[in-house]
Amino acid sequence: MIGRGGRVGPGFNWGLILPVVSGVLGSLALGMVVCALHAIAHDDGTRDSFLLPAAVLLPLSALGFLVARRTRTVPLRARDGFLAVTLAWLAAAAAGSAPFLLEGTLPRLVDGLFESMAGFTTTGSTLVDVDAAPESILLWRSLSQWLGGVGIVVLVVAIAPAAGLATQRIFHVETSGVTAERLTPRIADTAKIICSIYGGLTLVGFLAFWTAGMGPFDAINHILATISSGGFSTRGASIGAFDSVAVELVAMVFMVASGINFAFYWRALRGGPLWPQAAEVRAFLLILLGSTATVTASLLLADHPGGFGGGLRSAAFAVVSVGSGTGYLTDDFDQFNDYARAHLLLLMFIGGCAGSTSGGIKVVRAMLLSKTVGQELTRQLRPRAVQVLRTRGKVFSEEVRRAVLGFTVIYFLVAVAGTFAMLVAGLDLLSAATSASACLALLGTGLGEVGATENFQAIPEGAKVVLMFLMLAGRLEVLTVLVLLTPAFWRRNVA
Amino acid sequence: MKVIVVGLGEVGLHVARTLSAERHSVTVLEKDPVRAESLQSELDALVVLGNGASPRFLKEQGAAEADLVVAVTASDESNVITALAAHQLGAGKTVARVRDPDYFGEDEGFSRDTLGIDFVIHPERATAEDLAEAIMLPGAVHVEYFGNGRVAVAECVVGTRSPLIGKALHERRAALPHQIVGLIRDTRIVAAEPGLRPRAGDHVIVAADREDIGSVVAHIAGHTRQVRDVVIFGGGRIGLPLARRLEAEGRFSITVMESQLERAREVAEVLRRATVLHEEGIGKDALLAHGVDQAGAFVAAAGDDRANLLAALNAKQLGAGLSLAVVSREEYTPLVDALHIDAGFSPRLVTAEAILRVVRGDNVEAIHLLLGGGELTDVTVDAGCRADGKSVRSAESIATTRVAAIVRRDRVLFPTDGETVQAGDRVITFNARRGTNAIAAAFDA
Repeated sequence: MIGRGGRVGPGFNWGLILPVVSGVLGSLALGMVVCALHAIAHDDGTRDSFLLPAAVLLPLSALGFLVARRTRTVPLRARDGFLAVTLAWLAAAAAGSAPFLLEGTLPRLVDGLFESMAGFTTTGSTLVDVDAAPESILLWRSLSQWLGGVGIVVLVVAIAPAAGLATQRIFHVETSGVTAERLTPRIADTAKIICSIYGGLTLVGFLAFWTAGMGPFDAINHILATISSGGFSTRGASIGAFDSVAVELVAMVFMVASGINFAFYWRALRGGPLWPQAAEVRAFLLILLGSTATVTASLLLADHPGGFGGGLRSAAFAVVSVGSGTGYLTDDFDQFNDYARAHLLLLMFIGGCAGSTSGGIKVVRAMLLSKTVGQELTRQLRPRAVQVLRTRGKVFSEEVRRAVLGFTVIYFLVAVAGTFAMLVAGLDLLSAATSASACLALLGTGLGEVGATENFQAIPEGAKVVLMFLMLAGRLEVLTVLVLLTPAFWRRNVA
Repeated sequence: MKVIVVGLGEVGLHVARTLSAERHSVTVLEKDPVRAESLQSELDALVVLGNGASPRFLKEQGAAEADLVVAVTASDESNVITALAAHQLGAGKTVARVRDPDYFGEDEGFSRDTLGIDFVIHPERATAEDLAEAIMLPGAVHVEYFGNGRVAVAECVVGTRSPLIGKALHERRAALPHQIVGLIRDTRIVAAEPGLRPRAGDHVIVAADREDIGSVVAHIAGHTRQVRDVVIFGGGRIGLPLARRLEAEGRFSITVMESQLERAREVAEVLRRATVLHEEGIGKDALLAHGVDQAGAFVAAAGDDRANLLAALNAKQLGAGLSLAVVSREEYTPLVDALHIDAGFSPRLVTAEAILRVVRGDNVEAIHLLLGGGELTDVTVDAGCRADGKSVRSAESIATTRVAAIVRRDRVLFPTDGETVQAGDRVITFNARRGTNAIAAAFDA
């Protein structure tokens, strides 16, 4: 139905939504051109699998902008932002699957979409036989993670500020965290800063991997998938294939870096006032250190064959890989003892800092939750005490407390619902629970049938669709996607 | 001296009254016609209706010729504008009450240069500071520092185990040098005489070296119980800075009771470790529920004098170690002693202290006014003044005051009668009555 004032559907603001989706498709097309250039340079015969979709996407993107320009703008509303960002991500996943399908790497539509979604959402679950796939396809996988890591919409806002995007409505839909934050008065400038930091870290990381002994192609792929906390590798055995302490150390450094709020780097560089995120970063690092110590201890108690050095190396890598939501592997942590595996699951749920590329509920929410628990206990003793939610140097309003509690409940409900769906699809309890959770937390590696050395190929198609939904929900902090499923969202009179 | 006071609130009224009592010519500017009308008859001062923040009005009222302009309306902004305008017009000195530290920070030079304010006064914060010092000095209910911080003068309570009880003052033996200058008994302040015999419950005013004051006060009080648990009733303009000050000290366990939920939340956001309670009651049950009976100190610092007095009375009867009350209005002052509350504190006195310091002359370094009357003054002795070279006894009779201590170069002296007063000395004096110009006459050249 064509509504009044150029609106179609139940009163959505297509003048806002179309440019976002078009911008995302345009960036994807550019990424495909890059892969095509690589294919041409190495003449691996995959050129057309990239050029063909790019040739469709570029005009489509231009058309979208043109139509949007002719659409009369109506006042912006919150739900337009939700819809724009969700559609942009769906469009990215759909368009991004084209190279896999055309090349025949993954001939089935659902598989192509799954791989693409796992890429853009930086989940990193894979169906591709990595050791057999052509290089350009591997590059496309890594590139999709890099594009999705910082947020494709954020990238578009940074690259094309003049594209007529209603940035204030869409920026915060995509970035994670408990409170909205701007580094600069204009959002486009904030997006530019974040993307520059992201790009800078990528460059430094590339040089580091190269220095550590990787070839240039492996180095570029791994940094693209590391700084986005994605976890796609160019080897079937992941980072373990390199069997190099130097490579593992570089990977760990940049996995930790990917779990830290990008605004924090900006504040650190500028030497500004007490960084509001400093407490969260500190907690994140402490969690990783403490976890490394306990997991190492549990491995040693279970007689890890590598002794202290080997145990520490395995434990530290697994902790950082899972804690940052990346999912790289050295030692198969599915073979760890039960305590270590449970500890890693906990780390997966906590995830990295708000505003980072990692998943999970985020460290700041975990901090505020644990504070709330303590305060509730105090309240039993002193019912009249006025308790304030705070981290070092920052006070959070009661609305934030309510939002954090609500978010966490919904997050775990979604994980439980996903688990049930996977059980219905026929997985055993451990595999069902960990596959659903690992996709929601953007880790991409579960336990059991979906464990580290397995992949998701054996899972039924319907279950893959469920997992894709969980990935998208996890990437957009659950509520954005869930709100689209409420009937009220589709009513005209919603603000 | 010609003085303009802008704002006829509790503070403005007290300032005008104090200054006219010292025979200064005072003009008061007040916006509210009802208040201006009703207070005109109470003051030996000219009350003019109008906006004291208006530069034109200030000029009409002779701000250019005024020796002192005092801006003490309830509004920070208005006070700053008044001070700026008066400064521009050429007034001698400006004093402004500014509550929000954002306007001046900790840097007095900044406010002087940028805002044209010679003295920024923050009565509530200064009161909070006084309260904090009383709590930190066991046995004392008040302590002030003079002579660049070298000399402490404390008002302390004579405890039941005090060695002073029953003896005449001149019979006492003391390990550390000090001087007892005054005594408060049954709401009356008297200058100390050698034959005076302190009783339990009397308040003694004693001067000692800053380093010794703790021991001296403990000796007089007869105990050294350190306060640990502090309950502050009211998280307002005095309660909050007091809680912050004590929190910074690190050794207190602080509970703040605030009756308004929103304010309680603001207080809880600012304080890091203190327990903040949303509590409306001031009855014994409410106080008991929050452990006031176990508290080392209870401070009633809410905005309402009557509530403060009642809460402090209840706390004292429940067994709080030290019960202090903020009493802003003059007419409630006698109740502090009548109810056996340990001490009362008043923001208006702090303002008056700052202003008297300006009008009494350049060599007056500091003035402290006691709540029940009486004052302590810190003056520099000019060469060639009437007291220069005289014995302490004759200086005391010229100035009609009692010398508590002399700071001479780096030494603190507690003079016997034979000592002489010399030019350059800082003389700290105690006077049992208030409002005298004799001190300036004695020590000014």
